[in-house]
Amino acid sequence: MVRLYTDDLSIGYGERTIIKELSVQIPDQKITTIIGSNGCGKSTLLKAITRVIPYQSGAVVLDGKIVAKENTKLLAKKMAILPQAPENASGLTVGELVSYGRFPYQTGFGRLSTKDYEVIDWALKVTGTSEFKYLPVDSLSGGQRQRVWIAMALAQETEIIFLDEPTTYLDMAHQLEVLELLQKLNREEKRTIVMVLHDLNQAARFADYIIALKSGNVVKAGTCEEVITKQVLRDVFQIDAEIGIDPRTKKPMCTTYNLLRGE
Amino acid sequence: MIPQELIKKQRIVMLVLIILVGITAVISAGIGFSTLSFERLLPTLFGYGTFKEEFVLFSIRLPRIIITFLAGMALALSGVILQGITRNDLADPGIIGINSGAGVAIALFFLFSPIDPGSFVYMLPIVAFSGALLTALLIYLLSYDRKVGLQPVRLVLVGIGFSMALSGLMILLISSAEREKVDFISKWLAGNIWGADWPFILALLPWLVILIPFTLYKANKLNLLGLSEPVAIGVGVAIEKERIILLLTAVALAASAVSVTGGIAFIGLMAPHIAKSLVGPRHQLFIPVALLIGGWLLLFADSVGRNVIEPNGIPAGVMVALIGAPYFMYLLMKK
Repeated sequence: MVRLYTDDLSIGYGERTIIKELSVQIPDQKITTIIGSNGCGKSTLLKAITRVIPYQSGAVVLDGKIVAKENTKLLAKKMAILPQAPENASGLTVGELVSYGRFPYQTGFGRLSTKDYEVIDWALKVTGTSEFKYLPVDSLSGGQRQRVWIAMALAQETEIIFLDEPTTYLDMAHQLEVLELLQKLNREEKRTIVMVLHDLNQAARFADYIIALKSGNVVKAGTCEEVITKQVLRDVFQIDAEIGIDPRTKKPMCTTYNLLRGE
Repeated sequence: MIPQELIKKQRIVMLVLIILVGITAVISAGIGFSTLSFERLLPTLFGYGTFKEEFVLFSIRLPRIIITFLAGMALALSGVILQGITRNDLADPGIIGINSGAGVAIALFFLFSPIDPGSFVYMLPIVAFSGALLTALLIYLLSYDRKVGLQPVRLVLVGIGFSMALSGLMILLISSAEREKVDFISKWLAGNIWGADWPFILALLPWLVILIPFTLYKANKLNLLGLSEPVAIGVGVAIEKERIILLLTAVALAASAVSVTGGIAFIGLMAPHIAKSLVGPRHQLFIPVALLIGGWLLLFADSVGRNVIEPNGIPAGVMVALIGAPYFMYLLMKK
């Protein structure tokens, strides 16, 4: 059974509809990536699923319950969000920022329990940020900072983690570092990961399940082999792509492409 | 998780501020139109003063010192909350129209209701409070969008619009009124601490006793709201609900203060800002500092204003504006 799915979900800002009657399923304990060209609604979809923005009709269902009607603190124990390029952390230390991830478990004046401290240390450790614990977040590099934000999401101890373009602004090595960390969390901790990615080949390399969107509609959803095909890429990105096999990961990859013209 | 050295720093800042408030209060008690020398302060306080000394201290100076301090704290806390929920350092109860709302209510009441001198003074805080609350509700309704919820930036803009419209209305009201009535209203507008008497202290105190701990209790949520909206939602802050509750808290604090002090702006702007630059942006730490700074600022402004020009002095609101307006400009320039 799938824990999380959308049912005829329509999302829009004002009069403009961005996503219309979209139904997708998020497979459990897998890495799902949402791909699509600019403005196709992939970030919007992620935000609506995670209740950051409201939707117009339809429903997002988690464990048989409609997300919009659920207690938001309760949901925060089930799913965590890493928004796109979070703003600066206004002078907080790394430890403090990560401790904010414990908010859903706090009551009263928000004193941290022993358990909270353990989880914070664990989150810092798996993301490799323990050494920065007492440093201001703003003093870190982009890649380090991104890992700290992931640590905060991890401190929420949720089974599902959503990430909106977690590799933006990072150089190639740091991009891989972040994605490998997410893969490790998925394999070792059985976390369900849902992310929006820009890079097609990264999506193919790390995802178990890919949802390809175009103008708010699902063009194709399935495994990498099903989605990374000449036909789907033509429909989604208007490109004429050459599909090969990554010699190291044995996953399909787009080796080269041209723009489609005059069709 | 808050770094120890910051907590230590906050303690020191608090201590310095408490001493500063103490010194200012003593000086304020000792100077003024009627003489009450400093060496007579303590004997008078403990009941060994002459009738005149006791009257000056207990009926004039002391209530005024306490009321300005309390009102300053309330305005500072209101500013803390408004800046927190709007994520805008320029938010202040005066700037977003709550003061003018109270002012218009007072003017309307003063001009159009039959005046009974006995109950009149005690009616004013209630009138001002209702005016402020009504204004806040209107601002809220107009800046609320059914689809996207409460937009903080829009709240500030609508508030500024309201503040201007209500000031215009005030001018209209005043220009059509009799002279002696205008006198009182213009004094109120200038922030002349007029409710300096024990009953007003009793009216103001409960708000602070309840709402200071309440706001501290919300400190973590304010921290998260200040970070970013999606992050706050992600960790489970019900932002819409929290914003409404906090907005009402801020209005209650500001309204209870201006209803006894008259229109005083800028305290809610300056106090949180200075506090943040002293001890950092964590609400748990800077709220207590902001409270003391706000209380001290108003106490200081009133003590100075009361004594610079004999016999009536400069209203506290004007004194505060003299300090606050340049500070506001400085903040704007820095942005």
